[in-house]
Formats: sequence, C-alpha cells, structure tokens
Amino acid sequence: MIRGLQSAAAIVGIGQTEFSKDAGRSETRLASEAILAALTDAGLGTDAVDGLVSYTIDPVEETELVRSLGIPEVRWSSRLPYGGGGSQGVLLHAAAAVASGAAEVVVAYRALRARSGARFGAAAGRVAATSAHSGTTAMQWAYPYGALTPASWMSLNATRYMHVFGVTSEDFGRAVVQLRDYAATNPNAHFFGKPIVLADHQASRWIAEPCIRLFDCCQETDGSVAIVITSAERATDSRNPIVIETAAGAALFEQEVASDHYRPDLSVMDGTVALAKQLFDATGISRADIDLAMIYDAFSPILLMQLEALGFCGLGEAKDFIAEGNLGPKGALPCNTNGGLIGEGYIHGMNLTLEAVRQLRGDAANQLNDPQVALVSASRTGTILRRP
Amino acid sequence: MCPVCHGLEHDEAELSGRGRVYSYAVLHHPRSSKFTYPLVVALIDLDEGVRIMSNLVGIGPADVQIGMQVHVRFEPTDGEMAVPVFAPDGSDQ
Repeated sequence: MIRGLQSAAAIVGIGQTEFSKDAGRSETRLASEAILAALTDAGLGTDAVDGLVSYTIDPVEETELVRSLGIPEVRWSSRLPYGGGGSQGVLLHAAAAVASGAAEVVVAYRALRARSGARFGAAAGRVAATSAHSGTTAMQWAYPYGALTPASWMSLNATRYMHVFGVTSEDFGRAVVQLRDYAATNPNAHFFGKPIVLADHQASRWIAEPCIRLFDCCQETDGSVAIVITSAERATDSRNPIVIETAAGAALFEQEVASDHYRPDLSVMDGTVALAKQLFDATGISRADIDLAMIYDAFSPILLMQLEALGFCGLGEAKDFIAEGNLGPKGALPCNTNGGLIGEGYIHGMNLTLEAVRQLRGDAANQLNDPQVALVSASRTGTILRRP
Repeated sequence: MCPVCHGLEHDEAELSGRGRVYSYAVLHHPRSSKFTYPLVVALIDLDEGVRIMSNLVGIGPADVQIGMQVHVRFEPTDGEMAVPVFAPDGSDQ
C-alpha cells in the first residue's frame, strides 16, 4: 500500500453529459459540461478546482479546459498512459495529490466522440503509423498484417485464453446476456430496453473468430464524465462523499494498450494479477469485502480474464462463475450493473467509476441492496471505493 | 537499447523461419481495402524463441490450430518491402 493514501481521499461529486452516437459538439465542451455537473453535485465552483487529471487518447487540451471553465489557478495536473487501462489511475493520481497537499480539489475527466469523431474500431487510415502517447508502439508490427483495431489485437489474447481453458463463445455470451440485462433497465444505457438471450449473441456476426462477435464489443460512444476528488478531511463537509479506500496501478514489461502480445502467457492477464496484489494484498482488504465490481469490458473476453486475474475465481473458472449467475444482482459478485461498456456505453472506462459511486450512494438505476464496498478494475489501474 | 544488457549495438541473425502458432484470430470486420477477408492473423512462436505477429496463408481459416507447425514465406506488399507470412508445414505453393 502506498504510504498515507488509504482512505485519505474521497469522491465528492460526479457528473456526465448524455451518452450518444453523435454529440454534435467538441470534446472540450463535453468535458466542460461534465465537469460543471460534477462540481454542482459536489457543491463547489470552478474556482475551487486546482488539480486536473485525465489519461491518454483524450483530445482535450488542459489549457483549453482551464480557459473554458474559468479555473483561476491549476497547481497540479497529470495524464496517465495506457488509454482506458489508465481510467482508474486517475483516482490514484488525484488521491495522491490531495493526500499530499499538492492540490485540494482535483477534477478527473474523460471526454470523447468515439462514434461521431475518430472511431476506435475503424480500420481505415490506421495502417500508416502509430501516434505519440497512444500506447500502441508495437502496433507498427501489427498493422502490416491487417490487425488494425483493438478487437483484432485483443482477439489474439482471447483465442489463446479459450484454447488453454476450454472457454467457448457461449461462455462469453452468458456474460454479455447479463450485461444486456442490466443495460435494459438503465435509462442511460445505449441498450436500454433491449435485453438479449444467448441465441441472439450467438447469431451476432463475427468480428474476430473464434472469440469476438459483434455483441462482445463495447459501444463506441460520444460523451463525457467527470469526478471531483478532495481530501477525506475536507469531504466530511460534503453532501454525499464516497471514500477512495485505495487506488493503484500496475503495468508490466512489454505491456501496451490492448496488445500484450509479447508477454509469455497470454491466457492470464498478469498485469491485472499485479494490480490485484496492490489492491488487496498490500492493503489487507479482502475480496470477500467487495459487494460490487465494475470491470473494464471493452470486449467480453477481458471481463472473464480480469475476474480470474483479480482472484474472484480461479484461472479458467470465470465461465462457471458466470454460468452460476454470480454477476447478477443476487449473485456473489454483482458486476457492471450499468450494463458495462458493452451495455451502457464506452466513455473509455470512466463511466464504470460513476456507476460504482452511484451504487454506493444508493441512487443507481439498478440499485443493489445496500452495497458498502465497490471495486473498479481497468486491468492496469483500479480502485476500491467505500461508503463512509 | 537492449532491455536486458542495455547494449546499443545491433546485429542480424538468420532464423530458421520455422515455428508454431501460439494464437490466432480470423478477422472479418471492419475491412480495409488493403487486405483480403477473412484474414488470418496469428502470433507465431519461432523455434529460436521469438514471438512475431504475422498472417497465415495456404490454409483455410477453419483449419487453423493452435500449436500447428508453420514455416515462413515472403509476400510482396504495395510498397517495396516484402513481409514474412507463414504457411503450415506440408502445404503446397
């Protein structure tokens, strides 16, 4: 555990824009709107903000954001690598800032037009080169062979995972059916009112065979989310604080965004195993304490693989854990209760954090019965949140 | 820089061009005009211990198996360079 960080910071506000397929406005405006909403939720003005944090592949310029919102002075800012894998690391950075006094009120944000703007899943135009800060340097060795998209990169890990543990597309489908069940009753979800059965999943077309069908993929989404973090001490004055029990990051040698192809064993997300050591072993928090898990599901296979790497079930056992209904509202580990990135939408992982906060506050669309502790995992970074 | 010894010198080593399929995927969508689909992308563990990404050729997508032995071929690209691709041992062409 990082010295002095445990329970030292709290989330005091969350905000978001609508999630859509065409926001019709810039990422900077979307971020500004989400941050204003989060500050309103926190009962704070923009003049209280002195820290900013986001993660890579966010097109919003910090300087433009400061100008847009009228923030008088920023004392601390950072941006994590790993794309969406860094989406929970924003809480580590923010907690470290407010615990040390480097900043008093930090805003974490992510804005994107992943559908109407530059689509993550598009193949055209990507062959030429990788871009700086994309975390995908090794993709220059993938593009010449037509592996152009996150789905194609992750499929190589997923096929190996299926091979080693005897996992099938139906096993991924059972997870997706659960996510779509949650999304069906979440008005904020893209798939609100649209549950599926396993046969629908199996009938959806292949993106990358034998592991990723269309319904295994998250939703390219336009929108923004924001979170306001301050010290636990200052949060006691807040209306509805949620304690950041811990936050951590772990990125291993040869790991990139969605492309760990040169790690020895691709059937295990060993970066997430390392993350779990930081979240659990280093803090004394027990997996049995977790009432709710929000797990980065850009594609359904990595939901199963993270459940195993985090230690909620044994290696290769996530398929059985899910088949027993454990991710459902009455299961052992309700998971992605907003529908996840597959069912609600893909705000690059940070909308999972907002759902965890809503569940702990008690005002989620699919509200669980009195959850106290939530885990959010983005594979490389993660956090454990607790109701005070 | 070499991550093990931090040396800065580079050298070339001729490899056997033989290896085994570590993992693969048959890509269907989205489609780029530069490739033919379905397209088999694979990770090949070369006999010398290096893993590389490549395409599998000379085999139907449904017949690809993890662990199968493959060997290198070189195919032209739309630029000046040829790229190494892999075909299963025993396949013609």
